[in-house]
Amino acid sequence: MSKQRTNKLGAIVRSVWQRGEGKFTLIVLALWLAVALVSLVWTPQSLWVTDGYHVWAKPSASHWLGTDGTGADVFSWLMAGSRTNLLIVLLTVVVSALWGLLLIAAMVARNSALASTSVVMIDALISIPTVLIALILAVPMGASITVIVIACGFGYGLNLARVARPSALLAARSAYVESALANGASGWRVLVSHIIPNILPVLAVQLSLSAGTAVLAESGLTYLGIGVPSGVPSWGHSLATSVKLINVFPLTVLWPGLIVTVVVVALNVFGDVLRDAIDPVTNPALRQIADSAEKEGER
Amino acid sequence: MSVVVEDMNIAIGGKPIVADVDVNIADGERVGLIGSSGSGKSMISKAMLGLLPLNASVSGSIMLGGTQVVGASERELADLRGRYVGTVFQNSAASLNPVMTVGQQIGLPLKLHYDLTKAERAERMVAMLGKVGLSADMADKYPHELSGGQQQRVGIATALITSPRFIIADEPTTALDSITQRQIVDLLTSLVDDAGASMLFITHDFSVLARATTRCYVLESGRIVDSGATADVLANPQTPESKRLVSAARSLTLRNTREDSDE
Repeated sequence: MSKQRTNKLGAIVRSVWQRGEGKFTLIVLALWLAVALVSLVWTPQSLWVTDGYHVWAKPSASHWLGTDGTGADVFSWLMAGSRTNLLIVLLTVVVSALWGLLLIAAMVARNSALASTSVVMIDALISIPTVLIALILAVPMGASITVIVIACGFGYGLNLARVARPSALLAARSAYVESALANGASGWRVLVSHIIPNILPVLAVQLSLSAGTAVLAESGLTYLGIGVPSGVPSWGHSLATSVKLINVFPLTVLWPGLIVTVVVVALNVFGDVLRDAIDPVTNPALRQIADSAEKEGER
Repeated sequence: MSVVVEDMNIAIGGKPIVADVDVNIADGERVGLIGSSGSGKSMISKAMLGLLPLNASVSGSIMLGGTQVVGASERELADLRGRYVGTVFQNSAASLNPVMTVGQQIGLPLKLHYDLTKAERAERMVAMLGKVGLSADMADKYPHELSGGQQQRVGIATALITSPRFIIADEPTTALDSITQRQIVDLLTSLVDDAGASMLFITHDFSVLARATTRCYVLESGRIVDSGATADVLANPQTPESKRLVSAARSLTLRNTREDSDE
């Protein structure tokens, strides 16, 4: 079974790779991961070496993307920043997925009182802007990664639940869920093995959108001073420290801006491609896997 | 498993749907429940499984073997469903989970109720596929890759894999063409007889009823209006309601026969 699961994962990755936009997203995401890992052990320059004589320097052999206002190497800071952003995105996706699925479970509950109150509650909470939640959280917690993750995870979880509700309801009221119940499955089991697998395409799209938005939110909140604390490298940090002088030294702002844009686009497209790849109805490769596993069993 | 339903009333949102229904099914007996659409047939089958909508209320007594279903806890019911009571659904295309393979689908009741290894489950699942006339390589197909008849065979295999003592077949042939209908009914009855299980066969089609059951109840607007041996009810309906149903079915069947001879 573990072998078949690996095969399945392989088939999904291959199906994503076969599409042009899929290649793009896989390359961007792989690069991001690789750079984040490399930055743990190596960056071209130390983050803490500053040089008052070479501030806002143009790209050169020693500073590939130039230096910032303290004379620190922009490339090294961006490399190290990718790590922070990766952490924020992963945590935000996990938090919003767990929170969103909990809300979905409440909304499709057979208990109609719970279902209707949760819908009203979500509609009310969804009206609170994520930035406002972050501002309130920042009062006791100060600027920290936790503020970003909680604020974004909370807001995106609500969005996830709201967007996935129709398909979750459709699945919950479907004949196959009734059949699972008639076979003795419990409510939780129905949710985990019958409803969630059937709304996975919606979840994939919405979560990858959330991942992209989390990158943007990190930049925005850090610019406001309630995101990543000063001294911690992140793309938002690189943007925030250079954006004031955008008219004078536009290049320094360009790099983090470019990275954020490319990554956000890649994450958004990733959801789309992934949706098509994980559904056995739209992806013939997944069906072939099942067939070939069968033949292997015969041998 | 013998089934005794006494004085059952079902109301949904205060509106009575089924009234004063008594049904007896002896051990190993195949009994039909026939009625037009909206007569409350499916509600009776749902009540037997304890799967009525939450705004429905049921009173009276439903004894499945030694278990009282009315008022039973969710845990007791879950233990009954799929293990002692198997259900074949009307629209198998919709009642098979689109992201589960046929094998996972058929193995589900085993997984839920029995502590078997994966290999043991697979072995029983393949044996069951053979019994319903499907080849073993069907196990890795997804529902949308099967024909309607094959899907219903999978539905039957799922209902029967745990060798339940009582089968509820809720219009299992309605979504199928007439030739496939006959095959599915014959398959279902022979498997139920082999297992020695009893069956409640719900339908609105008299020709299917005659093939599948020995005794039947006629349901009209939520009340049992006639009952007896299926052949007798068909040949000699006693009440005006069943007369009307039978004569309507006859004219349909006659037309069907004429069409058949044209082919």
